[in-house]
Amino acid sequence: MLSLIEKIVFLVLVAGSLGLAWVNFGKMFKAIGRGSRPIQWGKAIRNWPKGLAVFLGQQTLFKTRPVVGGIHAVVAWGFTLYIAVNIIDVFYGFIPGFHFFSEHWFGQLYRLFVDIFSLFVLIGVKYFVFRRFISKDPKLETKEPVLLSTSARTGMKKDSFIVGMFILMHIGFRFVGASFEIAGHGPDPYQPGANLMALLWQSFDPVIIVYAEHVCWWLALGLILAFIPYFPYSKHAHLFMGPLNFMVREDRRSPAVFETIDFEDEKIEQFGSSKLEHLPQSQILDAYACIMCNRCQDACPAYTTGKELSPSAIEINKRYYLNEHLNDFSAGKDLDEPMSKWMLTEEAAWSCTTCGFCVEVCPVGNEPMVDILRMRQDLVMMESRFPEDAMDAFNKMENYGNPWGLSPQERETWMEGLNVPLMREKKKADVLYWAGCAGAYDNRGKDISRAVSQIFDKAGVDYACLGNEETCTGDSARRIGNEYLFQMMAMQNIEKFEEYGIKKIVTQCPHCLTTLKHDYAELGTELDVVHHSQFINDLVKEGKIAPQPSITEDVTYHDACYLGRHNGEYDAPRELIQSVLSEGHLVEMDRNKETGFCCGAGGGNMWYEINTGDRINYERFKEAADTKATTVATACNFCNIMMEDGLKVTGHEENMVVKDVAELVLEGLSDI
Amino acid sequence: MKIAVLIKQVPGAESALPINSEAIGVQEDQVSFLMNESDSYALEEAQKIIEAQGSGEVVAISLGPDRVQKIIREALAKGADRGIHLQSEASGLVDPLTLAKQFAKVLESEHFDLIFSGLQSDDSGMGQTGIILGELLNMATASLVVETELGENSLKVKRELEAGWFQWVTLTLPASISIQSGLNQPRYPSLRGIMGAKKKELKIVPESDFIVDGEKQSIRKVFVPKTDKRTEMIDGEPDAVVARLVEILKNDVKVL
Repeated sequence: MLSLIEKIVFLVLVAGSLGLAWVNFGKMFKAIGRGSRPIQWGKAIRNWPKGLAVFLGQQTLFKTRPVVGGIHAVVAWGFTLYIAVNIIDVFYGFIPGFHFFSEHWFGQLYRLFVDIFSLFVLIGVKYFVFRRFISKDPKLETKEPVLLSTSARTGMKKDSFIVGMFILMHIGFRFVGASFEIAGHGPDPYQPGANLMALLWQSFDPVIIVYAEHVCWWLALGLILAFIPYFPYSKHAHLFMGPLNFMVREDRRSPAVFETIDFEDEKIEQFGSSKLEHLPQSQILDAYACIMCNRCQDACPAYTTGKELSPSAIEINKRYYLNEHLNDFSAGKDLDEPMSKWMLTEEAAWSCTTCGFCVEVCPVGNEPMVDILRMRQDLVMMESRFPEDAMDAFNKMENYGNPWGLSPQERETWMEGLNVPLMREKKKADVLYWAGCAGAYDNRGKDISRAVSQIFDKAGVDYACLGNEETCTGDSARRIGNEYLFQMMAMQNIEKFEEYGIKKIVTQCPHCLTTLKHDYAELGTELDVVHHSQFINDLVKEGKIAPQPSITEDVTYHDACYLGRHNGEYDAPRELIQSVLSEGHLVEMDRNKETGFCCGAGGGNMWYEINTGDRINYERFKEAADTKATTVATACNFCNIMMEDGLKVTGHEENMVVKDVAELVLEGLSDI
Repeated sequence: MKIAVLIKQVPGAESALPINSEAIGVQEDQVSFLMNESDSYALEEAQKIIEAQGSGEVVAISLGPDRVQKIIREALAKGADRGIHLQSEASGLVDPLTLAKQFAKVLESEHFDLIFSGLQSDDSGMGQTGIILGELLNMATASLVVETELGENSLKVKRELEAGWFQWVTLTLPASISIQSGLNQPRYPSLRGIMGAKKKELKIVPESDFIVDGEKQSIRKVFVPKTDKRTEMIDGEPDAVVARLVEILKNDVKVL
């Protein structure tokens, strides 16, 4: 089809495009390579099924916004098909008379597919353009007081426009070109759309039709050549950086858990991340994978209650900072600008409850929460800059072994009147029951500890507690960024575990569960740890206890982030609730299980106040009240405290109660 | 500029305080010890003055058994330049004159420009050691300081008086002052500080180097005050009620 001159020009343009792409992609990967903790690129080969599943299956798009996700899937499939189409079109241009399996059923099917998908993609992208530029979906905007750099604000609009126009024109001209080909060579029953359009050109001079077909070919493929080197600057890079991100992401035991720091290593000069290059390479890659859809922002409890934090703003700011400084940064220059100035304000970093919702919903596998946790480490350990109340919590943990700051000799007061076995007397037991600080010092926490131990007694569990020998696991210290204090607390507990040869632990609190199970494993101490809801649910299944269905009104269950998203347990507490319902039902809140909404206390937020915006727990309690259930069941001490506060403030004291699942089970056992 | 800060390790406010078998103190292994609150403000104030000066040193000094080295290390982690530990097996309940004499023996040769101490210790609460030490070393002294301003060879301090009154006093250096809690925000040590503290000098002075004449006081008995709550309703004719009330005030409450 193409003339010799056209062919030469095309080959020159291909060389130019690929050359420029080589340079730009090189800069992108060099920028990623500046991060700490090298990416294990070999993993990409091992994890190819994961990448392919994300790329072709589009499976990560449906946790939230299923409709938009569906439209995206059609556009993505169409676009993927177009990779083959472009190659075939080049052959068509270069080899005279080339037709891809022209009369074979495969070629017919191919043409039919391309014809239909072209229309789908055009409609889908038009919808996306409409949504961003005309109807201006607020979900695509980031509200004050979140820091979003000027280059990000203007760059995002420009890039979205370029990407939208690129797809529309690339696919559009390919489609129009096909219609000109039909106008020139006669109708094709396997391209109904293009056939229809070809009717428009019926009266055109054949020479014009040939010219028009050439122009369309050039525009469709020329746009690709122009776009390839632009990829590293565009969010559209997500189409391969997203799947790649899933293939090379760090293997985590739990979403908020990462490697410990060796404080004996005197070569380490930087603890945590202050500047971009301090982040692990996989976290810099996140910026290139981000498509700026704001799903994480919709989910974030801090953002939705009006605080300074938006997880998507982290990635967007990071990306535009990289775009702006790509030459210098990829060349290894020290830009000497702390991330708190351009990526995430300090208050925003403290606003994170580490609920993990942002990580859960991200369709490209980003972990903005990890950036926050690493930045906190720098602020705490290098700068000594953090909320005043957090310092109070640190001092209390250090001095008294618990963030409440109460006497370490008063950990056994919840046991009064019960016959709770103690490790120091019993010396050996099948399971250690870990009440935790809340279970020992908070009044409601004590009720729950008592409920759990009474259930254990009824089931004949061989257990014991450490009592006054227990000390804080260090959860809050670690999430706030005080790795040093965390390790101090952990070492004390690990010594006790070794002293008594403890292997199996049942924790009352999901935060203790995560810390003992995953964070301690990072320190080299592997323990078999389960949550009380899991352990008690097993007791029911094994027939060791048989709670009587006694609850006659509806119950709603508030998922604890550290039990659900952080440990994947959604069923055990629900099954326990089901076991004690007689006439009432288990009714779900809108946001539940993987999309459960935080109570506001995680990530150390239990110990300090962020005064910007609304209270997260009030928002969540209102959602619970909307279910019309009369009992809000919880499985976490922090959640229990936050929900009870929500109950009081929203004026539901008369008609609703907040109870731990263990308390509900015990009620079902009370007459035995 | 050389500033000494006297820091004391005391039982934390929330600590359990079981009385020991001799009933002259607390059972130390059950107690959570920490830096006396007002001392940590004194330390912060000293550091701020030296930081503003740009040169000089802050020396954290504590007297007691080896456990007190924990708070000296804590002070070093927060930024004190060196530490001195006056090793003594005496508990925290030595009289302030004896303590001041002991400190004076060790600190005399150091020629400090300023000595800061917390207003009073959270355990025995005598509130005199720093002031007596100042007198023994021939320094100007001021207590209850809530603000400091360093001048040329002088220190201007704001003192808290009774009934909401304050007083500004200018002391010629050298001076020893006792500091009230709340005048600044004590810092949290950075990790660099914690790591660096391990390499800083901590001089240990054995008790034989600061022997002084016999103590002026001794503890006879430590006990938890008995709390007793009784309610007696007095009914009857006014004369009988008054008679009964007088009897109670005379014989039970013993105020008449």
